[in-house]
Order: sequence, then C-alpha cells, then structure tokens
Amino acid sequence: MSDPLHKDQDLRADDGPIEESQKTSETPLLNVSELRSGYGPIEVLKGISLHVNAGEIVTVIGANGAGKTTTLMTVSGCVKIRGGDITFDGRSLTGIPAHEIVKLGMAQSPEGRKIFPRLTVLENLQMGAFTVRDQVRVREDIEKAYHYFPILKDRQKQLGGTLSGGEQQMLAIARALMIRPKLLLLDEPSLGLAPMIVLKIFEVIRELNREGMSVLLVEQNARLALKIANRGYVMETGSITATAPAQELLNDPRIQAAYLGE
Amino acid sequence: MSSGVLRKLAGLLVLALVITYPLIPGLNDKIESMLGKKIGDSFPTIFIYGILALALNVVVGYTGLLHLGIAAFFGIGAFTTGILTVGQYPFQFGFLPVLVVSTMAAALLGGILCVPTLRLRGDYLALVTLGFGLITVTALRNLQEITGGMQTLNPIPPPKIPEILRCPLESLGLTMSWTEDYRLFYYLTLGYLLLVFVFLRNLEHSRLGRAWVALREDELAATCMGLNAARLKLLAFTLAAGLAGMAGSLYATKMTNTTEPTRFDFQLSCTILSCLILGGLGNRTGVLLGVFLVAGYDFLFAPAADAWLQRNDMNPNDKGYLKFSMWNLMIFGLALVLMMRFRSSGLLPKRRGTTTGKGA
Repeated sequence: MSDPLHKDQDLRADDGPIEESQKTSETPLLNVSELRSGYGPIEVLKGISLHVNAGEIVTVIGANGAGKTTTLMTVSGCVKIRGGDITFDGRSLTGIPAHEIVKLGMAQSPEGRKIFPRLTVLENLQMGAFTVRDQVRVREDIEKAYHYFPILKDRQKQLGGTLSGGEQQMLAIARALMIRPKLLLLDEPSLGLAPMIVLKIFEVIRELNREGMSVLLVEQNARLALKIANRGYVMETGSITATAPAQELLNDPRIQAAYLGE
Repeated sequence: MSSGVLRKLAGLLVLALVITYPLIPGLNDKIESMLGKKIGDSFPTIFIYGILALALNVVVGYTGLLHLGIAAFFGIGAFTTGILTVGQYPFQFGFLPVLVVSTMAAALLGGILCVPTLRLRGDYLALVTLGFGLITVTALRNLQEITGGMQTLNPIPPPKIPEILRCPLESLGLTMSWTEDYRLFYYLTLGYLLLVFVFLRNLEHSRLGRAWVALREDELAATCMGLNAARLKLLAFTLAAGLAGMAGSLYATKMTNTTEPTRFDFQLSCTILSCLILGGLGNRTGVLLGVFLVAGYDFLFAPAADAWLQRNDMNPNDKGYLKFSMWNLMIFGLALVLMMRFRSSGLLPKRRGTTTGKGA
C-alpha cells in the first residue's frame, strides 16, 4: 500500500503493525462527531463529539443518566446511530452491525460485567475469541489473560456465575482482550467492587495501555479514572460540557466540587 | 467427580441393556405374555420420539428460544417420505435418499420460517411457531390431492436390507421380515437415535454449541463478542427442523404410511416439550429419560395396565375413565406442575463446570 501520507511516519511510536492511515495525528483511532442516539422516543445523546487517539486512555465522566453507557453502546454498535457519525480506524461505523464491529478490532466490556454465568471461566474466554479462527493464538491469549489475572487460572473450570464480583469484572475484561483489540471500551469497571480490587483492575488497565492498547473508559469513580487517563470528557444530560487533559480536570475546582466530592 | 463417573456408568449400562434386550431369547415374549400386550413394536416409536425431542432440544435447550411447532416439521418429514415412496407418485426412491431429502425439505422450511421471525423475541416467536404448526396440519389435511389428506399416503415400503448385512443379522437370530420381526425397526431407529445423540454431543462441545449457550445466557454480551445472533438462531432452527424431518421420515417408514395429518398437531409438540422439561432442558440424557417416561407411559405402561384391568374384570364396560391411557394428559400435566415446584431444572439437570471447586 503506497500512501502519500507515508512521509508523516515519525509522529507516534506504536508497537505492532498498524494501518498507514493511523499514523497521522489528524486521524484519531476513534472519532465521534455530532453523535445522536437513544432508545425509542427518547433521545439520550444530543450530538456529542469526542475522539480517542491511538495509545491514549480517554475517560468519560458524569452523573447517572448523563449518557455515558449509551455512548459506549452506540460506539460498539449495540445501539443504533441516529445522527452524526463514528469512524473507527478510518472506517465509518454507520450501519455496521455490532458483531461486525468486533472484527474491526474494537472490544467492549459492558456495564454490569455481563459474563456468561453458566459457562465456565475458560469457556467465557473462548467465547471472547469467537471471531478468532487461529486456535494457537487463542491458547496464547488465554495464557496471557491468566498472566494479567492469575485468579482466573485457578477458577478456569468454575462457572462464571459462581465468581465474586471482582473476579467477574476481571473475567469480563480478560474476555474482551481475547480479540487483541486496538480499542477497548470499558464501562464502569469499578462498579460495586472493593477498593483493593478496583486498584488492581486499574493497574491492569494501565499496563495494557503501556503495551499500546487504546482505552475508552466510562466511570463514575471520576478521581480514579482521571488519574490513569490522558484526557477526559465531562458529560451532562446527553452533551459534552467540558474536555481537557485529565490532570487539568482533576485540578479544576468546578469538577472537584461536582464530581470529586471536594 | 465420582458422581460424574457414576452417571457415565449408568448411561453405558442402560445403553448395553437397550442394545441386548431384543437379543435375549424369549425375554420380550415373556414380558409380552406377562403384560398381555405386544410391546416390542412400540420401542421404535419411542426411539423416534427420542430423535424428535433431541431436535427440539437444539432450539429450546441450547438457544433458550421457545418452539411450539416441532410436530409440524415431523409431519413434513413424514409426508415428504410418503410423496417420494408411494405408488401414485412417479418417484419411489429408496430408503436412504428419501431420508436425506425429507431431512433437507424440513430443514429448508424451518429456515424459511425462521428468516422473517428472527427479529421476534420470547413469546412472539413462540406464537409464530405455534401458528406455523397449526397451519401445517391444516394444509396437510386439506391438500388432499397431494397429501392424501386423512386417507394418508400408503403403503410406504420398508427399507431394503443390504446383502452384506443379511448374514450377520440372520446369525443373531433375526428374521428378514419387517412386519414379522419388530427387531429390525428396533435396531434401525435405535441406530439413528444414537447417531443423532453422538452428533449433538460433539456439536455441544464445538464453537457453535458454545455460541448457542452464550446467546441464551446473554444476547447483548454475546453480540459484543462478535456473535451474529440472527445467523446462530437461524442455524439452530434449521438444524432442529431437519432432525425433526428425519424423525418424521423414520416414523412414516415404520408406520408404513404417513398417518393422519392430525397426528402432527399441537398436542404432539406439547408432549415433546414436556419430555424436555421433565427430563432436563439442554441435557441430552435427561431429554431421553423424559421421552422414555412420557412415551413409556403412553405406549408401554398404559396399554398394559388397561389390558390387565380388562383381564381381571375390573373394567367390564370398557369405561373411558377407568382406562390409564385416557388419563395421560392429566398425569403429564400434574407431573409438570410437581416438577416446577420441586425440581424445576428437570430430573437430570444440565451441569457444566464445577461450582465451588469442591468438585460437586
């Protein structure tokens, strides 16, 4: 593939082979522009724009009902796009069904974990690799998942539904990693978990990011999310009301008052 | 762990018993004279119902969708077999090609029914399958020029026994007449039942089987994993319809005619569904146990008990309410209610993995 954009190759160091088009800073990995979507007669997202560059952790914070989960669900194709557009890796996602989007390299760990309760841990991971035909690669990736979350290896024959909340969250993330995603969508990974477990999970997220994975993280635990993120967006009732580097948001007195409990 | 081994042993024991039962000289005759009823002839029908129940289990047990019209595909298989074999049509194919074509025909219709209904969920899907079942019975009955209507298509010839098999079968003491020796159909249908059983066991442990279970557990999460829900449901419906069609083909061959279309009505769908619930949804062995209990009551216990009452002059005027065979639906219904209350996952529930590491 010879591409005129080829000259700009020094812009960012990503490991692994990536598409030519991605190497320019003008084309983010994920670009959401003027996105509108909702359920039935209710419009939840009222034209939001955000982007995730390759190698970034981007977080969306906001109160209950702001539309954070709907944003992720629309990006992953589980909720239909009603207006605006989403491009991922240079392709428009309008009209592409959810199960095809997975094949483009975007994985979602949905809110409330949504593991398969009556499949074993191992089978859950195999389901995560449903689109991967190469069984050698699947076995490698399962080992890798056990490396990130050793507890899952001890539990591999157990039914998903018998795991503790923290273990289920780890399983949900591990399952999402099975397609070796370019972009990982995480919805409330800290939901209902003990602080110790939350820290452990966030440590893994940071480690994955260091290895080159981009992450779009939706969280109610704003402080923790902003601490590991590069940039943050603040959402209120279906619109983005602020965006800045994560550190700035952490220090912003208004954000501190509204979301950080200070 | 040990209970798993025990289960496996019990299964093998039952299998060995089922295979050797007709070969033990005089055993069947003795039981028949004891019960005062010819029962050997009923076993093939029970085995065929077993195939039908395993077919329904693909949709209801694996993917968790409610299907209330499985009998329609059973009927389609039977009538396809009728059309391809009887004298008034020019086809008159042999047993195997007929079996294959009947399976395909039912599968095709199953697929066609599924395409427009894929978007429906839960109760709505169940209603469509119910409606399809009713339409099929009415169509089979009223398209008299094609299906023979209530006159049925007959006679359907029995399969030809290949020369190679003739000698070993005769050495086992079987006579080569399909009408005189029940054991030929016994082994034919048992063979197909085992074939379907093993096929589905392998399927369950395949990528496709896992995907079906994942879809049942959580459709949203399954879609997030890249599963094409619509395609998977289509596959399950088509496979179930095909297997039911195959069972229908065997049934028609066994009965030597297509039997009246009303035999493939909602009541049969319901009975098969009860077998699944009674035995354990999703568990092949449980499903077969359910079939054996339900069909066993209908074909073995009730007729034998009625004959016994008759012989002992306890039902002199042949009153319906004194016949066990008339109480079957009442008893199945009661059994289902009790099951739901005390053992809602069936007699042999589906088990996967361990629960707490205790190896339960």
